[in-house]
Amino acid sequence: MDNFYEKMAELLEVDKVEDSEVLKDFEAWDSLTSLSIIAMADSDYNIKIYTEDLLKLETIGELKSLIDSKAKK
Amino acid sequence: MNLKFKGKKITGILTVVPANEVSFDDEMENYNFSAAKSLKLKLTMGYNKRRVVKNEDCVSDLCSYGLNYLLDNGLLNKDEIDALILVTQSPDYFMPSTSNVIHGKLNLKKDIICMDINQGCAGYLVGLIQSFLLLDQESINKVVLMNGDVLSRKVSSKDRNSNPLIGDGISITILEKDKNPDSVIYANIKTDGVFADALIIPAGGFRLPSSAETGRLEEDVSGNFRSKDNLVMRGDAVFNFVQTQVPPMIDSLLEYANVSIGSIDYFMFHQPNKFMLQKLADKIGVGYEKMPNNIVENFGNSSGVSIPTCICYNIGENLLNNHYKICLAGFGVGLTWSSMLIDIADLDFCKIIDY
Repeated sequence: MDNFYEKMAELLEVDKVEDSEVLKDFEAWDSLTSLSIIAMADSDYNIKIYTEDLLKLETIGELKSLIDSKAKK
Repeated sequence: MNLKFKGKKITGILTVVPANEVSFDDEMENYNFSAAKSLKLKLTMGYNKRRVVKNEDCVSDLCSYGLNYLLDNGLLNKDEIDALILVTQSPDYFMPSTSNVIHGKLNLKKDIICMDINQGCAGYLVGLIQSFLLLDQESINKVVLMNGDVLSRKVSSKDRNSNPLIGDGISITILEKDKNPDSVIYANIKTDGVFADALIIPAGGFRLPSSAETGRLEEDVSGNFRSKDNLVMRGDAVFNFVQTQVPPMIDSLLEYANVSIGSIDYFMFHQPNKFMLQKLADKIGVGYEKMPNNIVENFGNSSGVSIPTCICYNIGENLLNNHYKICLAGFGVGLTWSSMLIDIADLDFCKIIDY
């Protein structure tokens, strides 16, 4: 998870992101961003995330926890 | 499951696309999204131009046009057609089969087998497999395999999920017996009906007949509008399915055929969108130049027709005088996924024409 924040910042088109920030509040947040996150989870962490997982999340920190928990299994 | 075919070959491929072209930029205003977001989607997915039928053109219209083109130009002899296979998910009617309708339009001989197969994204592979099986018969020397879909007619114009990528078209592939006993075609195919609803047109069949209710547009969580009469795709499920299942399928095919990945000239895959194909190429470990991903941006994704379109568009001219080892792969609706390792050489024709 070394460069998780860098990648998220890139996907969300901002300089940096923090755990407390709300996903839906980003200007760039849309269905393409969620697909990009699904693709990143697959290629970087070898885990499956679905749109319905993402819809339940509020913040960057919650997304990180979800990826952490899936990656451990 | 692994499959092996001996003494069969492809001798010609023709793709027919509607002359009518629409562009992503012109349709952006249909979608419930900002222009900036739509442009980002366009760049990532490779959306641009696509070919779709006008009015109420049907698969049999495009297939008949393509067959007549081959007959008129001396590229196909009517009396030699022993089997006419059509793979489609947009038939003219529930009954009779559309291949029979085409048989009638062309007035083909009666000593022939006509067959429709309901398959989409993997439909080129399923069609080839069926055609090769028929060629085992002594009385069948030439099979005409048609793939065709006009699914743009079932996609909501306000669905940014599916509308920007859908294309229409048909292809005709001629298959014959190969006298060379050394020619072996390797293939594999898998199915998972648990995800039958990942790509579906919910209404219009016998389960849920079309009605005023099924024709009503509804908004989904992403702001797309579509009705139950429209095609709906769970993009995330399809993406995860493709990235999980396709790379091991290709590994397994190469192992079965005992062929190294470096000895394959081209990977002609189904064309869902540029994004998915690039991720797939990265995972399988082949360069983008060996796995073309330019069909969605030029023609749209025409389901089972996308592989022949990809072959004709990218290496059509070269296949008239060259010999290539090609890996084909189709994956999607069903869910169905299949791949094939086949030598294609010295084709009689391999091109795209407009309808």
